[in-house]
Amino acid sequence: MSKSKIAGIALLVLAVAVLAGLPLVIKKDSTLNLLVIVLLYIILASSWNILGGYTGQSNLGHAAFFGIGSLVTRQLWIAGLPFALCFAAGGVSAIGLALLIGVPAFKLRGVYFAIGTLALAQILNVTVGNILPEMSYNPAIADYQLVPRYYLFLALTLITIGAGYVFVHSRFGLGLKAVKEQEDAAESLGVSALKHKLLALVFSAFFAGLAGGAFAYYHVSYYLNMPFSPLWTFDPMMMAYIGGTGSVIGPIVGSVFFVIIKELLVLNVGEYHLVIFGTLFILVVLFLPGGLVEAWQKIRRALSHWTRTQHRDMAPTETR
Amino acid sequence: MLNLQGVDAFYQDIQALWGLSMEIREGELVALIGPNGAGKTTTLRAISGLLKPASGSIQFLGADLGGQPAHKIVALGISQVPESGRIFTGMSVLENLELGAFVADARKAKDSSLKWVYEIFPRLEEREGQLAGTLSGGERQMLAIGRALMAKPRLLMLDEPSFGLAPLLVDQTFELITKINREGVTVLLVEQNIRAALELASRAYLLENGRIVGQGTGKDLLTYESVRSAYLA
Amino acid sequence: MLESVLQTLIFGILVGALYALAALGLSLVFGVTKFLNVAHGDLLMFGGYASFWVFSLLGLDPFLTIPTTLVALVLIGAIIYRVLFIRMVKLTEETKIKNTLLVGFGLSVILQNLALRFWTADDRGITASYSGVAFTLLGVRFPLVRLASLLTALVFLLALHLFLRRTYTGKAIRATVQDWEAATLMGIDIHRVYFLAFVLGAALAGVAGTLVAVNYSIEPSMGLNWTLKALIVMVLGGLGSITGTLVGGLALGLTESATSLLLSNNYREVAGLVLFILILIFRPQGLFGTKEA
Repeated sequence: MSKSKIAGIALLVLAVAVLAGLPLVIKKDSTLNLLVIVLLYIILASSWNILGGYTGQSNLGHAAFFGIGSLVTRQLWIAGLPFALCFAAGGVSAIGLALLIGVPAFKLRGVYFAIGTLALAQILNVTVGNILPEMSYNPAIADYQLVPRYYLFLALTLITIGAGYVFVHSRFGLGLKAVKEQEDAAESLGVSALKHKLLALVFSAFFAGLAGGAFAYYHVSYYLNMPFSPLWTFDPMMMAYIGGTGSVIGPIVGSVFFVIIKELLVLNVGEYHLVIFGTLFILVVLFLPGGLVEAWQKIRRALSHWTRTQHRDMAPTETR
Repeated sequence: MLNLQGVDAFYQDIQALWGLSMEIREGELVALIGPNGAGKTTTLRAISGLLKPASGSIQFLGADLGGQPAHKIVALGISQVPESGRIFTGMSVLENLELGAFVADARKAKDSSLKWVYEIFPRLEEREGQLAGTLSGGERQMLAIGRALMAKPRLLMLDEPSFGLAPLLVDQTFELITKINREGVTVLLVEQNIRAALELASRAYLLENGRIVGQGTGKDLLTYESVRSAYLA
Repeated sequence: MLESVLQTLIFGILVGALYALAALGLSLVFGVTKFLNVAHGDLLMFGGYASFWVFSLLGLDPFLTIPTTLVALVLIGAIIYRVLFIRMVKLTEETKIKNTLLVGFGLSVILQNLALRFWTADDRGITASYSGVAFTLLGVRFPLVRLASLLTALVFLLALHLFLRRTYTGKAIRATVQDWEAATLMGIDIHRVYFLAFVLGAALAGVAGTLVAVNYSIEPSMGLNWTLKALIVMVLGGLGSITGTLVGGLALGLTESATSLLLSNNYREVAGLVLFILILIFRPQGLFGTKEA
């Protein structure tokens, strides 16, 4: 294995260890809450990226899966069912929704898919808001504990990233790439575009649904249609783009970056973080499609090129 | 009037024209002939400014066209009737002709130009208010040529005006082109119909694989061995 | 009973004309440049605020604030085009549509949050001095403000129609839509046409925003909903036809009104969205458009 890969894995293990051990050291709720937000965004951005980044199909209705997962989990949990069951049900309901809308949605090519999914998500958003406009109150509020919720998010994040990685590097992921490059050519080679896209959508939806379940577990009280808001599609999407949609790490980078910028700005100039983020997003779309990850690779290459020329200058006796 | 020197042109990474040099003098009717894919349309696109040459120069009336945008080249006096005419099917015959006179100078003379075009193509006047998309093939070609004439061009370039037309219409079209040339418009005619083109033209260039492989008067090329065997057999 | 049906019908028409105007700018821009500017609704929002502030600060009649709104949106549109969209002119059509959708989305985020910073999240509305006045005919109420809005919308629809039909520039725009290369060969500067179409589109969005401020209310996050409405009208009416846009707008307005009558007011929006998806799946070229690849 290459040196950089070992270093990468070591870094990953270190990061996970730090995150896992954090609650034992830091007792401040605000820090844990902040991390929960970051983890939630990572899950949403990564899950969005499975479809949006790898197949190039911009699903503008991702919030629908987040929403349905949270709705099903919350309602079942309030009804008294054990949380693990509710959590699983949330994920399953997201899968169901994905299958339901995936088949007609993928009939739409190109931009029609994007605006079609947006419309579908909005339908759910408005309908849920109509049927269930009330605030939802957490029945277990007396023994609310932040730490287990933090660990739920951490575990879910790791699973999402891991599953995403495996998925993308599998034969299926290869097929997805082919579909993205040249859908018709892939079809003629026996790669069913619809099956691949549908599976990617289901995969993406499943983790968004589970994130919704975790969200339902985490929040004490919120309006039931809040997770259906298009913001839960657009913010993760921006994070995925800014981080870099072509990789597993991109959405992670984007999410962390987003929250850091937000926290920094809120302290100093007020809530302009979205203006900055929107600008960065546009810059990425126009000039740097690989996002921060690509920028980093470029910097590294430029640095290594520079150090190599430095070496050359310092060793004039080196023969070419 | 028009002078191409060593023009190279590329479509992405594929070279389409190799060191093309040709000359058209005022008042001439010059033909550019050659097989499919030789680069005839590419040459016209380069002259019209739709394609920027990678090297070489194109001079018109003594001034270098220097990669100017296409709409400016029209204003300088070069009009092209593109392959299959490309009339605006959703607009009327009159609107098409009016658009032909879009450039400022032509717009001032719009009414007299319209009269002239209707003289040459009386059928167009009959169909003035009709949607261009409802015209027959031959009428569309007439409209395309008429539209290009509305710009009062010094140089008129036609890309395969006879393509897809019935033989009778082909003859008519070529007659009209000769007539237009006689009225003082310099003509560069790209054609696959070699025989007709060579009979019409005072001079011709033979283009193959992006290179000029022959030139001379129309009659010369008609008797040129390779032309005979390759295209007229 | 008949009266309430009639009332619903009339309201559907009144609001439908507003929808048509809201869609007109986007339809023009997309038809000419193939830019799918999903920030269109946010431009509409800015138009509403422009009118609101002129109204609030100068006390003008809301409909007289339209000229300033037009100027403001022409400027904003010009800046947005020159800074952003001009960079996407040379892309192939499919990439162009996709990238402008993304860029438009980013722009929408920026505009929304700027509006939020400048003017807070409070709802604003323009209440004309005559907002309570209404004519009654056959038992149906015709509020004056709505009638004036209908008239305004129709005036702008007609004005654009005449511009495209009768002026040389308008014809140049239509030619560019049909075949931009052939248009170039006529001596038409495509870049100018693109710029003009975009700026016109922004201006039309602005006027629509004024009407929204007068008839409803405005707040920074309204952009997305109005962009969706514009998209629905575009898909209903097909591209490239002002008549189609008007009919599409009316169709949406009537659908919403019928839904609020038959179901409940809460589902107005849903009806439009459902209609949208149905048309997308079964007839993407709209009710008027021709099938394109």
